[in-house]
Amino acid sequence: MVNDKIGVYVCHCGGNISDVVDVYKVVKAVQNFPNVAVAKEFMFMCSDQGQQMIEDDIKELGLNGVVVASCSPHLHETTFRKVLARAGLNPFLFEHINIREHAAWAHKHDPEGATEKAIRLVRSGIAKVSKARALESIRIDMPPQILIIGAGIAGIRSALDLAKLGIEVHLVEQLPFVGGRIAQGYGAYPSGKIGTELIDELVEELKKEKSNIHLYTNAEVVSIEGFIGNFEVEIQINPRYVVKECDKFDEAIEKCPIEVLDEFNYGMTKRKAIYYPYPNAYPELPAIDMNACNKCGECVNVCGDAIDLDQKPERKKIKASIITFATGFDPYEPKEGEYGYKQFDNVVTLPQFERLLALSNGKLEYKGKEIKDVAFIYCVGSREREGEHKYCSRYCCTATINAALAANQKFGVRTFHVYRDIRTYGKYETYYEEASKNGAVFLKFSPDEPPEITQSGDKLIVKVKDQLTFGEEIEIPVDMVVLSVGMVPRKTEVVSMLRVPYSMDGFLQEVHPKLRPVETAIGGVLIAGACQAPKDTVEATASASATAAKASTYLLRGYTELDPFIVEVDAEKCTGCGDCVEECMFGSIELKDVNGEKKAFVIEATCRGCGACAGICPEEAINLRGYTYDQLRAQIDAMLEEVEE
Amino acid sequence: MRLNVDFTAKLKKFGAETTYECFNCGNCTAICPLSTNEEQFPRKFIRYLQLGLESKIRSSVEPWLCYYCGECQQTCPRQANPGELMMSVRRYLTTVYDWTGLSKRLYTSTTWKFLSVGILFFATLFIVYLLHGPIVTDHTELETFAPAEIVHPAGYVFGTILAVILLGNVYRMHKFIMGDTKAPFSLYIQELGTLIKHFAIQARLRLCENKSLWLKHWLLMTGYTAAFILVQVDILTFWSLTNNPPPAWHPAKILWTYATVAMLYATTVAIIGRLKKEEPIHQYSHSTDWMFLILLWLTVFTGFLVRIFMQFDLPLPTYYAFAIHLAFTVPLLGLEVPFTKWSHLAYRPFALYFLNVKRRALEGE
Repeated sequence: MVNDKIGVYVCHCGGNISDVVDVYKVVKAVQNFPNVAVAKEFMFMCSDQGQQMIEDDIKELGLNGVVVASCSPHLHETTFRKVLARAGLNPFLFEHINIREHAAWAHKHDPEGATEKAIRLVRSGIAKVSKARALESIRIDMPPQILIIGAGIAGIRSALDLAKLGIEVHLVEQLPFVGGRIAQGYGAYPSGKIGTELIDELVEELKKEKSNIHLYTNAEVVSIEGFIGNFEVEIQINPRYVVKECDKFDEAIEKCPIEVLDEFNYGMTKRKAIYYPYPNAYPELPAIDMNACNKCGECVNVCGDAIDLDQKPERKKIKASIITFATGFDPYEPKEGEYGYKQFDNVVTLPQFERLLALSNGKLEYKGKEIKDVAFIYCVGSREREGEHKYCSRYCCTATINAALAANQKFGVRTFHVYRDIRTYGKYETYYEEASKNGAVFLKFSPDEPPEITQSGDKLIVKVKDQLTFGEEIEIPVDMVVLSVGMVPRKTEVVSMLRVPYSMDGFLQEVHPKLRPVETAIGGVLIAGACQAPKDTVEATASASATAAKASTYLLRGYTELDPFIVEVDAEKCTGCGDCVEECMFGSIELKDVNGEKKAFVIEATCRGCGACAGICPEEAINLRGYTYDQLRAQIDAMLEEVEE
Repeated sequence: MRLNVDFTAKLKKFGAETTYECFNCGNCTAICPLSTNEEQFPRKFIRYLQLGLESKIRSSVEPWLCYYCGECQQTCPRQANPGELMMSVRRYLTTVYDWTGLSKRLYTSTTWKFLSVGILFFATLFIVYLLHGPIVTDHTELETFAPAEIVHPAGYVFGTILAVILLGNVYRMHKFIMGDTKAPFSLYIQELGTLIKHFAIQARLRLCENKSLWLKHWLLMTGYTAAFILVQVDILTFWSLTNNPPPAWHPAKILWTYATVAMLYATTVAIIGRLKKEEPIHQYSHSTDWMFLILLWLTVFTGFLVRIFMQFDLPLPTYYAFAIHLAFTVPLLGLEVPFTKWSHLAYRPFALYFLNVKRRALEGE
């Protein structure tokens, strides 16, 4: 099939093109080219008159293909596709040729060469359109149901926003309680609210939205299959061993004879095998840590059948049109000996220090010793010159100063800030100011000469070559050193199930940081919070709400349309070798038995149209729609054809 | 070097209140017309203050090279008052140099200030009461009331004590500034010119943008010098402590008039300035700044009254005014010259002197 009535429209772009490229010569050179019905030039093809001219020609001359030679397709491809649609022609019977950037601008000093190049480019467009096929966008149904993985502040925020729109939300949390890292934080900036207070507020809202939000705690995703609009997810809900309400949980916890280090407090305190991480934790039922529990039955004696020590894991299948990852981050764990970490008792990380602040009353004590002077070392595990963490975690400056201010105001602690660079960006610049007014001392080090920690009596000595003085080596005697650690990405299995791409830093990657900031390259998979990049609470919840808004644009409309440029398999040519299955990074091709023969099949909803499979197929059995072998060969032939003088 | 913020806290008493407002940008040093590549300030010293590097500050000469023009104060983006911080470092250094320990008490304790001024004031009055001569009431006979053979020797003994203490302090300053540097004696001779020049004309103050600072200071300084000389030579001229005051055209009397007017003008302007707080140099007043100005003003004013009463031949007012004049002069000289603010008359020129000697000694090595 050949489109034999093609209209060619060459644009002057007001002189941007015609000052260099001889557009009249281009028109002349292509008007007699095979399958061309009409060729015209015009001052601004994108203007109303230009668009009208094309629309009229399509209708009057019965064109079955259009080529516009003008600016970049980024600018006006959509414009002209719409012209075709208005004139009743399939919008994909169109080719946009860029003779501005590719000819006029690139070869300003060689007008003749530029003109020749323009002619060749336009001819290749004509050849491509002549073999183009009408294509239809792919329509996928989107029932209003979503899976959100992770019930930290981002996951909960996103879930609430969606639930309020009447969308069914499955919220899966791997720990027995919701709240994530925020619950562990101390006074979160701005607002100064304690982390658990923030979570409490969200939990109150969560309780009101119970009809739309299915919360699964202690649960993990076992498998994900399917694609946008049609994900099938299996989750495993691990036993909590506490199965219903009981009035005497406090007594049961007290009776429990087992004590283990409390990971919620980074091991600074101990908890029982049956426990709440903190007093107001949600869900209200305590959980039993079976790794610690010896099944002595003391708690059962108190609470009876509210506790079932033989509870079994349970599996559940969930359907979701969209999946949002809100899987969060891990605080960087310093290496042993890094700034004295795990080498000296009183070297802790910022998250640990925040727990210490939350747990302290009256005076700040650590391991039985009062803490009066604290040094903070910045950029620990961030901005590394060598190693994995070359990025800036950026929340840590503000978080550190925020914690230092709290320590100073609540406990009268004197603070010393040993930093590489410091920026409490945006609204939080005042924190830096407030800290310096309260006598916080700032010392700047070069990464070439990082500070050293040594012990002297019951004091730690931080030695730093201070760049703000005159390179003098300053020794700061302190009671505690706090390492301001950055955020590191979590590599969770569930991410690899969907092959969500990572950025260089190891965080989950969005499609485009400005234009599509919460979508991933995998259709229907969104990212919220710090799994995407280091974020503070404000940014995490903002991105969470953004995923909710993005998801709702699909879920409230009930369907979505995908670009038709995906691959198709010619079953007759396909030998079922499976090379394409290997090659596809999105898992969008599968082999199926057809009458005893293996054949490749494309999962249209997840194919991104990259064409990798088409390239690898030894039989040319796979074609990328809109870029078929026939089209590309015709383009090349047309481009190589001699241009007459 | 050990960071010691207790030291920083201690310096608050000397007026270093804004130390931690500074974020070390260095605008102050950039704008300062007196700072040089070799001797940089104020930023460096604010940094030393922030970290509490006591030993660095004790051995520094730069604070004396700062004349508090106040330009840094006006350009500081953080209102950290660099000029005032430098001033507070000078106050602290004054206590470091002083071997008696009195300086430290005067700077840091209000009780000590009032007590020492009060004791010297009333002790002087008491001594006058004990030792004064016959009181002639039909006309003014000041010399009969205050016999020159008592007043002048007492004055010289008092002056010698003050000079010994002050020079002792200058010697300690020398030790702190020179550190381990050994300079040949010839350099001390060769550089005497620097000492005399800066003592006489305070040339560095003229480097400030605001030239009126220098003029006012110079009026005060020459007025004081003139008065000092007149008092010293009175034992020969007998124009002051006399029963027969010389006529108005007498050169000594003209000089005396100049001294009185210059000092009264300069101190009055300074007091008004400190009350109005318009100029940077007058925005922040330590209690010792007030102590100095008030004592000086009262001394000059009571001296002025003595002359007026003498002129109008009012015997008793003359004697009382003279007694009170002495009672203010003794604490003014006794406390200000060796122990507090006025000691800078020696420390400033000596700092430049020692700096040049040290520099040349290091070059020679």
